[in-house]
Amino acid sequence: MNETTTQEQPPPEPRRLTRARAGRLVGGVCAGLGRYFNVDPIIFRIGAIVLTLIGGAGILAYLAALLLIPAEDSAEDAPAGRNRWLVIGGLIVLLCISFPFLLGGGLLVAGLAIPLAVLVATGVLVWWFVSGEGPAGDAGDVAKRAALGLGILFVCGVIAIGGAWAAAAGGETVVAITVILAGVAILVGGFMRPVRWLVLPAVALALSAGTVSAAGIDLDGGVGDRDYRPTSALDLRDKYELGIGELIVDLRQTDLPPGDVPLAIDLGVGDARVIVPEDVCVATDAQVGVGEIRTFEQHNEGVDVDYDDLPDAAPSTTRLLVKAEVGVGSLRIGQSGTDLDLDRGHFDFGPNDTELGENSACAT
Amino acid sequence: MRRSPDITSLVSGLCVAALGVLLLLDGTGTFDLRFNVLAPATCAAIGAILLASGMSRPR
Repeated sequence: MNETTTQEQPPPEPRRLTRARAGRLVGGVCAGLGRYFNVDPIIFRIGAIVLTLIGGAGILAYLAALLLIPAEDSAEDAPAGRNRWLVIGGLIVLLCISFPFLLGGGLLVAGLAIPLAVLVATGVLVWWFVSGEGPAGDAGDVAKRAALGLGILFVCGVIAIGGAWAAAAGGETVVAITVILAGVAILVGGFMRPVRWLVLPAVALALSAGTVSAAGIDLDGGVGDRDYRPTSALDLRDKYELGIGELIVDLRQTDLPPGDVPLAIDLGVGDARVIVPEDVCVATDAQVGVGEIRTFEQHNEGVDVDYDDLPDAAPSTTRLLVKAEVGVGSLRIGQSGTDLDLDRGHFDFGPNDTELGENSACAT
Repeated sequence: MRRSPDITSLVSGLCVAALGVLLLLDGTGTFDLRFNVLAPATCAAIGAILLASGMSRPR
């Protein structure tokens, strides 16, 4: 008779989280966590650094782990031999030390570190697109690529500003031809020798000039503030132009004849205001690239704002035909309310404001 | 052996040239360029460039 003896396997011992000795950089916390979870310790190191920069919690967590997680070589007798009160006291001291840092310095560090990290990432991505070299290699390589990418971005910024200025100053056609030539060069380069470095500057130039054109920004008329207070219809200009600034046309003292009186306004960037007498009917045909149009009780704002309001007027009444183009900013047309007065700095009225009066002189 | 053309450069060149043509049409008064055209055109151009760049990158 054969006897079979079954040998019971002892239950496996639970894995112990210890601070690793092999591969540690500081205290072996991240190396131990990596070994415990079977992942690359660099993940925990990056997490600790990020948490340290964003509020400083990483340092606190690391020091707490340093106190709580036993070292690898003392794991066997560590729990019993560890002085519990010493650990608790250490944690309390740690909290007291870390608290001001978390509130104050941590935010300061985060405020500097996050934009810096975004800058570095942007630089690396730009360089990746231009050269095809991704974020590989050591820290020195990454820093070098980020710097090169940021340098390219800086050059693109300068080109964009120059292109926008040229387009606003009337050179849109020249800028357009330059962009087309750049596109052709990139295209031809695809068959011969790629010139990818030209793509970003060309796109920056096209975007800046396109934005200026779409907004209708025109720098004719100069920069500054302009007040016009004509006294008669003969004093009215064919067009009131200003590049950048505040343009005010006050017609309250103007002797306007019955019938249609044209008034053209062309403002690049800024605020344009037309103040009219109560006995004048106002017909408006206005465009604002980005900003708002307020005429009496009407209010429109946003991008590509178009406003047409062409009421009729009795033959004995003056009808002011306002044709206005504003690139970026606001156009306000109204009567001599308290908020639409000539004293600068008193134009702060809200969206429901009715101080612009009513366009009541028009025929109903 | 004949070298194949760089797809990213071809797509980028076409997109940049197309944006330039839009600007030229606006500058000559043939077409009124507004944001409702510029914004989608720009997004399409940048998207096409990035797509071509991603597709042509060696894996």
